Amino acid sequence: MEGVFDFAPAIAVFPLVAFVIALAFGKHLPKKGAIPGILATGGSLLLSALMLVAVSSGEVYHETLYEWAAGDATSATGVEGIAFTFGILIDPLAALMLVIVSLVAFLVHVFSLGYMNAEGETGLPRYYAGLGLFTFSMLAFVYADNLLMAFMFFELVGLCSFLLIGFWFRTKSAPSAAKKAFLVTRFGDYFFLIGVVAIAATFGTLQFAGDESFVAAAQTAIDDGGTLFGFDAQTWVTITGLLVLGGVLGKSAQFPLHTWLPDAMEGPTTVSALIHAATMVAAGVYLVARMFGYYALSPTTLAIIAFVGGFTALFAATMGVVKDDIKQVLAYSTISQYGYMMLGLGVGGYVAGVFHLMNHAFFKALLFLGAGSVIVLMHHEQDMWKMGGLKDKAPVTYYTFLAGALALAGIIPFSGFWSKDEILYDAFIVGLEEPVIMAAYAMGLAAVFFTGFYTFRMVFLTFHGEPRSEAAEDPHPVGWSIKAPLIVLGVLAVVAGAANLAPVYKLTGLELTFLESWLDGEYGAIEGLTYGAYGELLAYETGVVGTEQLTVMIAAGLSLLLAFSGAGVAWKLYNVPEPVVYRDRLGRVGDVIEANYYQDEYQVWLAEGVTLPLARAADRFDQTAIDGAVDGVSTASLFGSDRLKRIQTGIVTNYAALLVTGFIVLLLVLGYAGGWFL
Amino acid sequence: MTVGIEYYVLLSMLLFCIGLFGILTRRNALMFLMSVELMVNAANINLIAFAFYHGNLTGQVLALFVMALAAAEVAIGLGIILVLYRNFRDVDVTVPTTMRW
Amino acid sequence: MAVVELPEWAALAPVLILAGTALALFVFDSINPRSTNRTVLAGTAAIGSLVALGVAVWFTVAGVGASGLEGFGAIELFDGQLVVDQMALYFMIIVAVVTALVSVASYDYMEGHTYQAEYYSLVMLAATGMATMAAANSLVTILIALELASLPSYALVAILKDNRGSIEAGLKYFLIGALSSAIFVYGISLVYGATGYLQLDAIATQLETGAADGEFAYGGLLGLGILMLIGGFAFKTASVPFHFWAPEAYEGAPAPIAAFLSSASKAAGFVIAFRVFTTAFPLDATSALIGVDWTLAFVILAIVTMTVGNFAAATQQNVKRMLAYSSIGHAGYALIGLAGLGAGSELVMGAAMMHLLVYGFMNTGAFLFVALAEHWGVGRTFEDYNGLGQRAPVACFALVIFMFSLAGIPPLGGFWSKYFLFTGAIEAGLLVVAAALIVNSALSLYYYSRLVKAVWFEEPPAARDSLGQPTGLYAAIVFAAVMTVVLLPGFGPVVETALDAAAAMIA
Repeated sequence: MEGVFDFAPAIAVFPLVAFVIALAFGKHLPKKGAIPGILATGGSLLLSALMLVAVSSGEVYHETLYEWAAGDATSATGVEGIAFTFGILIDPLAALMLVIVSLVAFLVHVFSLGYMNAEGETGLPRYYAGLGLFTFSMLAFVYADNLLMAFMFFELVGLCSFLLIGFWFRTKSAPSAAKKAFLVTRFGDYFFLIGVVAIAATFGTLQFAGDESFVAAAQTAIDDGGTLFGFDAQTWVTITGLLVLGGVLGKSAQFPLHTWLPDAMEGPTTVSALIHAATMVAAGVYLVARMFGYYALSPTTLAIIAFVGGFTALFAATMGVVKDDIKQVLAYSTISQYGYMMLGLGVGGYVAGVFHLMNHAFFKALLFLGAGSVIVLMHHEQDMWKMGGLKDKAPVTYYTFLAGALALAGIIPFSGFWSKDEILYDAFIVGLEEPVIMAAYAMGLAAVFFTGFYTFRMVFLTFHGEPRSEAAEDPHPVGWSIKAPLIVLGVLAVVAGAANLAPVYKLTGLELTFLESWLDGEYGAIEGLTYGAYGELLAYETGVVGTEQLTVMIAAGLSLLLAFSGAGVAWKLYNVPEPVVYRDRLGRVGDVIEANYYQDEYQVWLAEGVTLPLARAADRFDQTAIDGAVDGVSTASLFGSDRLKRIQTGIVTNYAALLVTGFIVLLLVLGYAGGWFL
Repeated sequence: MTVGIEYYVLLSMLLFCIGLFGILTRRNALMFLMSVELMVNAANINLIAFAFYHGNLTGQVLALFVMALAAAEVAIGLGIILVLYRNFRDVDVTVPTTMRW
Repeated sequence: MAVVELPEWAALAPVLILAGTALALFVFDSINPRSTNRTVLAGTAAIGSLVALGVAVWFTVAGVGASGLEGFGAIELFDGQLVVDQMALYFMIIVAVVTALVSVASYDYMEGHTYQAEYYSLVMLAATGMATMAAANSLVTILIALELASLPSYALVAILKDNRGSIEAGLKYFLIGALSSAIFVYGISLVYGATGYLQLDAIATQLETGAADGEFAYGGLLGLGILMLIGGFAFKTASVPFHFWAPEAYEGAPAPIAAFLSSASKAAGFVIAFRVFTTAFPLDATSALIGVDWTLAFVILAIVTMTVGNFAAATQQNVKRMLAYSSIGHAGYALIGLAGLGAGSELVMGAAMMHLLVYGFMNTGAFLFVALAEHWGVGRTFEDYNGLGQRAPVACFALVIFMFSLAGIPPLGGFWSKYFLFTGAIEAGLLVVAAALIVNSALSLYYYSRLVKAVWFEEPPAARDSLGQPTGLYAAIVFAAVMTVVLLPGFGPVVETALDAAAAMIA
């Protein structure tokens, strides 16, 4: 496997080439650019799998490929010179993520054949070009070896999501949703950018890994106990970490920057699948995992991550309960699930967070593609109240969707259960010692109930009961290109959990924690970037209730119980031939939830009520004070000019007098300076 | 008995200032020219006095050159004054003020 | 190399060629003063100056005056009264180029003038004086060369004998000039009195020994003398407060003569200032004796000159007068070269030398455009120039180049020299001067672009006859424009030459 890493750049370059081809020649290609896209992502998948194999045989790859700028500034920690580079870092985490991203991208491309091409959409070259660029950006982001490169591709990911969400730019809502997604995530990215600059200025390096990394430098700085920019080193690490976290909150749609994600449904469903499962939203959480060593140095940041994650998990889950649009429900479930991942990472459950990231990628892609399939079946109807009874008419869609739903709800033994349970377990044991984490855990636990409820409400409304519209009675058939990705993802949603059966290990001692070993570097990793190394940095205490086994039982039992009860309530209410709307019974609470807790309203108010007047005031200041000053200067200059030229009177005797006067003034000045008159 | 060098300098400065005064007050172009001559000759006094004081001839030679140059200058000046009179019917230097500001 | 075999006086070849041309034209004038054979006369003048230019360039390339293995070292002639070194040759090149341009342009401009030969003869005599100024190494030769340049200039400005403007300009130029030269001569006499020498290096030696012994008794005289010398240079370079002649002289003079005076004469004024202040008055010794650093005077003069020039130019209605004031402003920029000498770096003086070369092209070109406009008879104000671009696009495009180069817009030669002046000023620690440079350049853009706007964007007045295309003027303008642009890629050698010359002076 020696030379396999030489092909690493190709993983990202393939989709880039597909992007160029689709853009340049898409119109003339038989499938309007789909074929190059499928081939490129297929190639990326193959290479990524090779990387995975190579990493599992104990190799890692960390190489700077290109230095595009260098300076000789000295950082706050005394590092002289800084170089900005492009490089590739492939360690177990990156390799795993590469496979996930390229797999989902590949399946989305295949699915698009059925979803976009077969439905006679126009503008397909643009669509496939967008997908290609999106995949390229995400893959490059995943194996970026430094923070600045990561930031650049992070931004590019944001741009691509803008382009794709606004794909149907002739509608009214799509461009608006695209702008919203772009602006909200950019808002977070400003903080990220400041964070990048701060880290660069502080440590003189932006590398993720190695002795030269900013993580190592930060650790040294904290150990030395000095101050950075007037702050205690630890505080400064917290500040910079939080700044970077701003970008994460935006991209991963965490409270309060989650508002863009539900609107992003305006894009094609395939794009939603890509955004939610593997690219855009995943980028945020992946970034936290990527620089986990840095966050591990700051307990405050971790606690904030955990709390925000737990809160978002519950918050979004409640909103998902009342939605009628199948994609809306899924969107809120995404926010909620990423909340779990943040909770997991925040409590130090690095493996649990990454595990859930992986599982979620599979089952959420599955659910979205399933929803896409349903939309095709339903002749582009998305309202669940108009569906029903699709179970028998589209068995493949139904059973794969059901698998995804079971995983999402966290029902044993589907994949979601294992990872979610591990997150909650990690949060629970830390929470026993730390009240804040306990609160986050409690919210995460409560969210389990709502997750079970809205998931099965969605399943029952869509597939069970009697058809409630003509479209549902006579669904449009779907082809293999839709079914095949569903089946692949359906299988993965069922079995992916086997990658890390932590509770089984803890209860029976069977070594079934493959992912943990993988991330802990048992097969090979870069020093300092392993679960074990992070564990040493963490300052968390953990507790148990009775014995470890008992704790595992309690945690798993609680979450399962809640998941089942949520599902059960949904069963009771909606698994009937003619389900009715219960929302009115929620009264005022329902109104608030239906309105998404007025999140949009207050953000719009912030924009229109606060920012806009401020901008107006600034504009007025610019128009009057600044421009006035500029105009004043010019008027004064011209006036001065008019006066000044009057000394040229035209009378030569005056000139002689002025000349002599000027000479005498010069004489006096010099004489005064030279002390001639003393 | 020798006269101190400072008296020569004072004399030349006096002459220089007289010339300057003439330039500033006289409006007749010819008087202007004469005043300039006074100033140049003040310089000549200096040159010759200092040549004597320093004991080299450089200053005296330069004084000769200066006189020649002054003569050339006057020649040009008279030419200009001639055409001035032809165009403006006057040799008052404050009359031509068509160009100003 | 061939130069080695030439006798030493041959180093003065550019000056001698100019003088010879002048005398030939003078002889012609004596024999046939009313000849209107413009081709022969203008041709002789142009060829003479071009040959002088060629020889000067050849000498520079061959390394005459350059130190080191390649060069021949500075050549001193007549017991050091004259010296031919890199700086002398550099300024001879500027003078010769401008003279050639002016001669070619005058072919058309002076059409109809009765006495042709005397005009060219005077131009060449003045050019000889300026070239000699570049080589003068003693206060005697400086004075003579300066007068040799000035006296024909007075006559040239007043040469349109029936034009009241020309006469008035000549009178004012002459009167201020006479006053200034009287002050200058008096300054020389004082410096001579204080040191006993007129040769520049002898003065320096005297001052250095005097400063070392502490027995120097005439600090006051010396200080006053130096200040009066500065007055003389300020007159020649049109710097405040000796600038009063300039607006009128440039406005009233025939436009080619205005170009000649504002470019070549100014450059010559700077070369003697550079030489006198770098050779004769070593900074440390002089300031020890007179108690003040003479660069202070130049700092003040530079700031005041550029401010007065640019501010007065801003609201002019007459294009030629605007250029006249802008010329004063540029003198202020070039004075930075002397103001910055205190830091002991050759960069800032080299930058001033570069600026004078570039200025030689762009300013001459601009004045020649005015000559062209006067030749067309379109009028003198900005409004009169409206819409000329539609009729004469080539010349007007050249004008755009001149204006933007004068303003210092990046791709053009004027930007680079100004940029070097700016960095030089910063390096010398003259932040105020650098700031003044920036402010004034910004202001200058206003009035330069006003002209561009008038020419290209304003509607022409209702009826305008078709405009002729005089060959000589066009050739000169186009050549100046091309050089202004070509100096951009060719700036490397120019920078090198100027910096070498400046370094040789300071070392």
